Amino acid sequence: MIWLAKFSTKVNQFLDVPTADPDDARRRKLLNIILAGLSIIALAILLVAPLARALGQTMSSGEMAFIIITGAGILAGAVAFYAMNKSQLPGWVASTLFLLFLSLTMVMADSPEQLASGRSLFIFVIPVVAAGILLKPGYVFLFATVSSVEIYILAQVAHSEPNIFAMFGFYMIAVMSWLSSRGLNQALHDLRQTNANLDRLVQERTQELARALVRERVEAGRTRAILESIADGVVVFDLQGKAISANIALVRLLDIPLEELLRADVDSLTHSQVLDAKNRGILAGLLTSPGQGVTSYRVQWGHKTISVSSALVEDSEGERVGTVAVFRDYTREAEIERMKNTFLAIVSHELRTPLNAILGYAEMLKEAIYGPINEKQARASERIMSNVRRLLDIVSDLLDQAQIEAGKLTIQVRPFKLAELLDTVHGVMDKIAGDKGVALTSNLDPELPESINGDPARLQQILVNLSNNAIKFTDKGSVNIRIYRHDKKHWGLEVLDTGIGIPEEELPNIFDAFRQVDSTASRRHGGFGLGLAIVKQLAELMGGDLAVKSKVGVGSIFTITLPLVATKKRRTS
Amino acid sequence: MTDMELALVIEDDEDLATIFSEALQAAHFTVETIRDGKQAQIRLFAVQPQVIILDMHLPNVDGMVLLRLIRADPRLKDTIIVVATADARMGELYVDEADFVLIKPISFTQLRDLTERLHKG
Repeated sequence: MIWLAKFSTKVNQFLDVPTADPDDARRRKLLNIILAGLSIIALAILLVAPLARALGQTMSSGEMAFIIITGAGILAGAVAFYAMNKSQLPGWVASTLFLLFLSLTMVMADSPEQLASGRSLFIFVIPVVAAGILLKPGYVFLFATVSSVEIYILAQVAHSEPNIFAMFGFYMIAVMSWLSSRGLNQALHDLRQTNANLDRLVQERTQELARALVRERVEAGRTRAILESIADGVVVFDLQGKAISANIALVRLLDIPLEELLRADVDSLTHSQVLDAKNRGILAGLLTSPGQGVTSYRVQWGHKTISVSSALVEDSEGERVGTVAVFRDYTREAEIERMKNTFLAIVSHELRTPLNAILGYAEMLKEAIYGPINEKQARASERIMSNVRRLLDIVSDLLDQAQIEAGKLTIQVRPFKLAELLDTVHGVMDKIAGDKGVALTSNLDPELPESINGDPARLQQILVNLSNNAIKFTDKGSVNIRIYRHDKKHWGLEVLDTGIGIPEEELPNIFDAFRQVDSTASRRHGGFGLGLAIVKQLAELMGGDLAVKSKVGVGSIFTITLPLVATKKRRTS
Repeated sequence: MTDMELALVIEDDEDLATIFSEALQAAHFTVETIRDGKQAQIRLFAVQPQVIILDMHLPNVDGMVLLRLIRADPRLKDTIIVVATADARMGELYVDEADFVLIKPISFTQLRDLTERLHKG
């Protein structure tokens, strides 16, 4: 069928007149079609005469000449108009001349009577209608006028009355033709406009798509580069749990070849021989539904400790498209952490025992167990004792801090009496306060139940720490411990002192481990900066809050608010 | 000497054992010091001490085992047990079985003053 398409192209090339105005081109093509039709008719006429003679028809030479001249004339005219139509001349020239010529030819088509108002009158409609198609709409009135003039002249020639109704009819037809031609033009114009918009849109989309594709390729390359350059193992799973991407770090970490990783899914990965059942379950949970429960977990992968964290992968609409998991080699850190904890536990135990011995011998000397001593010797013994106690406190703090960091320090809740808590704190702190000449007082709010649920050992540690600190930084005045009801569901611990206070800019830092407000204060008061950090962490472990208010030269107030849990016995009685 | 009550100090650290025993002597007890869990277990069949200072971290037989043994022995039902431990957390575990739980560091005067009040009658 290619030849048909080629033929069609050739015909179009023959008929088309390339001009800038698409309406003009359309009209010229239409004229060419008509001219082509006429040429075919002319050729047929030229063929008819010799054919008739060959078939034995008798025909006068005059008739013969007429047929040949008519055929040749039509053909010549058609070619002439075609040439004119294809030329640089404006489109309307060829069409107008053609229609005028057509109109004039029609005048000779029948007897003047028949043309003026007889059976052939209708043919004058042809140029009027054709003008609507071949020329701009307004031309229909020109040809209505031409047709009217022609039938008027024909009526004069035939000595009859001019047919006014026919002329009126031409104009009526012209109006209709004008309207429909205009409508057609408008419709074609709109269509072209729509097409043009559509074309532009298609082009824009195409360009956008091209740009997006380029961008995507750049992005993919960049992502790949990032993926390969990071030290942690990364794997991406699709919604079905199949691995779709993994990096070389993961290959090294898990010691699984890349091809195998990319064939793996969550199931096959977590069923590796090196994982035990517990780690398997947790890892599968992490990889299939991240963000539920734990987001990061340490698993023992053979001899390695691996920290795995996962996150959802979402597209720009927030739709979940998969899961990304990051595997970090935690072996060294885990080992160091374990060693640190063991070290601290051993060290603190090994330090405490000899310190306890030093403390005991110093006390015995001072108590004159080994015979009488003089005042200087007694004072020296006391100095030994107080320094040993300080060292013991530091060891305790270090161990507590290590346990908190390791998450090993737990709160053990049981019913206890608030009054007993205060008594114990007084028992420990009264002597220290007395030695420094600071008054240590306390109040217990009668609004509180006698006995509540909590961890008395840790609460005692908090109060001892806070009051110890308060006494340390108070040279004259008092330290007051207050236990009070905060509201229906909370109770509070408050330690107020009239000490040196804390500068405002230092307040945010005082709860950091190993930090103490200005080093001169630290040297003078021998602090170690762990106490407040431990208090804060203990308060948080108990579900409470630690707050501080302070003014330099006036004093400080440390407040802890804790959830109040009354004991069952209390509620029923 | 006839009426001096017996106190057992079961503690593996030599210095602490000395200090504890001095404190108990200062509190007017006759003191016997044992530094091994197994030996303490054997000795407990023979004596009926008024007070036992018991370290929880002992060689051969653990302090916890000794604590249970003493508590299970009707002959020793009047014996007062003072547990000495370095671990404050573990201390909580002995509260029900021991009469007193002291967390190390234990001061000489603290132990002396405490045990002074533990004489019969």
